[in-house]
Amino acid sequence: MNIELTDITRKFGRNKAVDGVSLTVGPGVFGLLGPNGAGKTSLLRMLATVLPPSSGTLRLLDRDPASPSACAQIRRRLGYLPQNLGYYQSFTVVEFVEYFALLKEMPPNRVPKAVAAAVERVDLGPKAKARLRTLSGGMLRRVGIAQAIVNDPELLLFDEPTAGLDPEQRVAFRTLMRDLGQTATLVVSTHLVEDVGAACSEVALMAEGRVVFRGTPEELTAQGEGHGVGDSPLERGYSAVLTASRKQVAA
Amino acid sequence: MSESMTDGNGDGVDLDRVWVNVAAEVWSRSPGRLERSAARLLRSPGLARALFATRSLLLPWLISSVVVLGVGVVAEVSAGQPLVWLIAPVLAAVGMAYAYGPGVDPAWELSCSMAISDRLVLLTRAVAVFTVNAVFGLAASVLTLGTRASADAAPVTFGWLVPMAAVCALTLAVAVAARSASVGVGAGVAAWIILVLTRSAVSQQFTAAVTDANLYLPYLAVAACCAAVVIIATRTQKGLQ
Repeated sequence: MNIELTDITRKFGRNKAVDGVSLTVGPGVFGLLGPNGAGKTSLLRMLATVLPPSSGTLRLLDRDPASPSACAQIRRRLGYLPQNLGYYQSFTVVEFVEYFALLKEMPPNRVPKAVAAAVERVDLGPKAKARLRTLSGGMLRRVGIAQAIVNDPELLLFDEPTAGLDPEQRVAFRTLMRDLGQTATLVVSTHLVEDVGAACSEVALMAEGRVVFRGTPEELTAQGEGHGVGDSPLERGYSAVLTASRKQVAA
Repeated sequence: MSESMTDGNGDGVDLDRVWVNVAAEVWSRSPGRLERSAARLLRSPGLARALFATRSLLLPWLISSVVVLGVGVVAEVSAGQPLVWLIAPVLAAVGMAYAYGPGVDPAWELSCSMAISDRLVLLTRAVAVFTVNAVFGLAASVLTLGTRASADAAPVTFGWLVPMAAVCALTLAVAVAARSASVGVGAGVAAWIILVLTRSAVSQQFTAAVTDANLYLPYLAVAACCAAVVIIATRTQKGLQ
């Protein structure tokens, strides 16, 4: 398994952002759903080794990221797209992707081809030499995706990857996700239920820092039978699980 | 989707792969001589790129330079205050950590997930800030020689920028050798404390490490040694090729 979490907790002061999450995830596209403040981003930041857990055991790519040398090994095989990725405005698309390829310690002789392949994969070839300050929000998001996939990672973490993409780009991106999921473990955090339905083979739903549902999109859809809230069957399932979880907490 | 066509021999040609090879040739930027040398010295093309990208991150660069020069001027003005000299390097380091940290660096979160530690990158940036400003300071001191401006620039350059550039270079060298930023910072801080204490014991003056003109040359020598190592490393590599 590429991700093994056992009773992971993350506290910010007195607030528990992630509360006793246990998960194992293998290759494929794994969707992380939940409302704002459910703890998705905190969980993803721990998987990206940016944030250490307050307690619990975390193993990524069969290594313990608490050890510095293991952490460096994990990071070489990791691709991460943060929710709020900032950009160096004066860099070109190629310079930005190349910069992070080098920081991932890719062999320098492999970098030019890997950068070209990543830039082409997100359809930014015509803008390869454009400065980032001249690009639209959707194009910048695709630059972020390109830097995440440049090292052909075994573990990919995307936080709200389709934010800012137009419908055509979102469809293309879902295809890319399915493609990437054939060889890597791809965890996608999103609140767009349709992205999950279209691309994910498995999904977890988080609420109040806990995983309240885990299964296939079809199983999530089945949870919504007879539930009135939501425009699509998957949305009804999402809504039904969340409602049940809130009732349980209230009780 | 991958596009392919068949050549005269019936073998498939992957046009996407061909295009990626062409794009890699067209788009790739070969690093300059200095960057190649730095990559060999630091044993890391990523650190070298971070070093040379430091100035192009304009806002952090301006903030760092203003902090470093400001702290240097305050330290020079308060030459009789030992506490200022103890705090000054820490203030400069904090200023740079802020400028190239989560406060200002837009891609900080991403940088924290990279194989090359963000602290090592910060160290290379500290070296870049002190070294480039020291070079500017030296040039300004030489160009304005004999004037009032030179009298103002020289103490900050020789008493602050050059020693700090030397200490930062030593810190980075140890960090790279040990593959640990914490070890490098420990060595740099220890070297600085030992230097300050031994010079103050010898001359009975706490600030001797930065005001003693006899030390200017050793500081420059450390910088020159670093440059020499770069040149030798480059020649060795060329000889091997």
